Amino acid sequence: MSADVQFASLPAIADSDAPKSRGNLAAAALRFGSLLVFASIFVVFSLTAPYFFTVGNIGNVLGQSAIAGVLAIGLTIVLIAGGSNVVTGGIDLSLAANMGLSAAVYASLIQLGYGDATAAAGAILTGFAIGAVNAAAVVLAGIVPLLATLAVMNVVAGLELVLTENTVVPASTDVLSAISTSDSFGVPILAYILIGFTAIVAAIIQYTPLGLRLYAVGDFPDAARAAGLPLKRLVAGAFIASGLCGGLAGILSVSYLSGSTTGSGEMLLPVVVTALLGSVFSRRLVPTVTGTLISALFVGFLVNGFQLLNLPSTLVSGVQGLLILMVVSATTLLRKGEI
Amino acid sequence: MSASISAGRPLASLSRYGLILALIAVFSIFSAAAPTFLTPGNLQSILVNNFTLLAIVSIAMTLAVSAGGIDLSVGTAVDFASFAFVSLVLAGQPVALALLAALLAGALVGAFNAILISAIGVSPFLATLGTLFIGRSIQQLLTNGGNPVYLPPNGVPYAFRFLGHGTIAGLPVPLLIAAVVIASVAVLYSQMRFGRVVLSIGIQPSVVRYSGIALGRDVAVIFVLAGTVAAIAGIILTSTVTVYIPSSGNAFLLNAIGATFIGTTFSPLGRPNVAGTVLGVLLLSIVSNGLLLTGLNFYWQQVGTGSLIFAVLAFSFINQKAVGA
Repeated sequence: MSADVQFASLPAIADSDAPKSRGNLAAAALRFGSLLVFASIFVVFSLTAPYFFTVGNIGNVLGQSAIAGVLAIGLTIVLIAGGSNVVTGGIDLSLAANMGLSAAVYASLIQLGYGDATAAAGAILTGFAIGAVNAAAVVLAGIVPLLATLAVMNVVAGLELVLTENTVVPASTDVLSAISTSDSFGVPILAYILIGFTAIVAAIIQYTPLGLRLYAVGDFPDAARAAGLPLKRLVAGAFIASGLCGGLAGILSVSYLSGSTTGSGEMLLPVVVTALLGSVFSRRLVPTVTGTLISALFVGFLVNGFQLLNLPSTLVSGVQGLLILMVVSATTLLRKGEI
Repeated sequence: MSASISAGRPLASLSRYGLILALIAVFSIFSAAAPTFLTPGNLQSILVNNFTLLAIVSIAMTLAVSAGGIDLSVGTAVDFASFAFVSLVLAGQPVALALLAALLAGALVGAFNAILISAIGVSPFLATLGTLFIGRSIQQLLTNGGNPVYLPPNGVPYAFRFLGHGTIAGLPVPLLIAAVVIASVAVLYSQMRFGRVVLSIGIQPSVVRYSGIALGRDVAVIFVLAGTVAAIAGIILTSTVTVYIPSSGNAFLLNAIGATFIGTTFSPLGRPNVAGTVLGVLLLSIVSNGLLLTGLNFYWQQVGTGSLIFAVLAFSFINQKAVGA
């Protein structure tokens, strides 16, 4: 008997058999539905596109998704701690600009003759500083995150222009080339970095008390406050973590593009979509680090498959938009049915 | 008790007028720093070149935000209207018909959002974000991968040029159109029942629902209206520059969000409001024009704009928090 109770309280897939949990059933249907879509797209591309289902190509997609993936994971942390309402809750619009500035700092320091360690420290410090400003604006000044990070985004994008004068700053060092090469299987090192980074962040967010507290602060701020959680410190920490992700993404992009380039702002909306879409790949339809990784890879494979099939890449943004609308509509309708 | 209330008052008004103070401060600084700033020609240039289009798009944004939502696809409505307008004028159709088609195109974008938000129940942020992405793809498909559509400079009908460059009683037509849009939406909120219902939806949707008001329908109307208003900006944009550039309308998005939310500091309750939005747009316009005139390095201008807005926001929100609003 007691074994049964314990079993039921485990977040097992067997939950869907319980008659009382229609909501879980619906969520499971959607979750597996979206995974099924992912799988079927994968199979279709494998059958139709030559070279799609090769270790090299899959590794390539992982590598190409690394920068967007790291950014989207940073945004996911803010989404978790800020709550599901994107307008008044958690969002970090400064992430893409953060990546641009961090990359510019790294490349400029290399140009000035500093070593990789100094340049990397500079990039990470830049990300940290941007995160800290966001945190202060949101937690201390009480500005809505949407607005605070929007203003910070403008300042950061401006600083990047000042630093690079809107040009490409080339940078190539041994460390950078080491990151952007592939191993003997043809899998880019960036792919391993993405997987490793996701594993570490997922371990912290999904499996430690700290992560649980972040969810509590985001979903039930009043309850979290009543329980004595340091609300402000946790939210501030989430923005700083997001800023650090921006700095890391900056380093990865310098390595991937052999320098800092302009136009990092273009990354913003795709990253937002990736992070928001990520919650579909989680058990309870909430933002999770692993869900965001799957979402980033999903988009990566979509783009890659389109390229291999010679389909116009202009369709990708439309497919992304349709996907998010279909998924969110399905979620909403399922939740309605549940009530 | 009464002492604490009267002590709160001056602070409350300070927060409310923080935006006006910021405007006055910015205006004075630029008047002193840039000799050409305070000339009639430049002031008109601020209104025509910086203010007009952003004001109209920001009013569209304010409509959506006042109903408790947000519209990330205002730029898409601008683009679709612009494309419809250019295509029909290029095809030799009368300008009146092209105008109608452009407004319809914007309304269509709004209607798509409205279906998602009201009928299905998708959150406005996600619904309009999806619309933005789909809209971008559609535009690229329509233009062979994103090629601009030019109108021949001398083949443009007079009515078309009039919309972009004409004057009535010495006032530029685009500015007059913006004024009409602002005034109409202000009247909608202050004088009409519909406007007040929308404002209450934004503040407390459950109460509105209990009052027996068809919430979904009103929200749907607001989003169609937002698309249509944004379309007006698309029409003026196209008539001014005689070219349609795919996805160029998105350039307004972040500034429109900024202006609308800066405007919320003007309302005692921190709600979006037309007057606040207009002041917010004015602030953004003056800052970008003024920084240009000070001869500051082009790249520093964006830093300046961002920092100034950040300062205004911090000031307003800290005050609001001090008041406890």
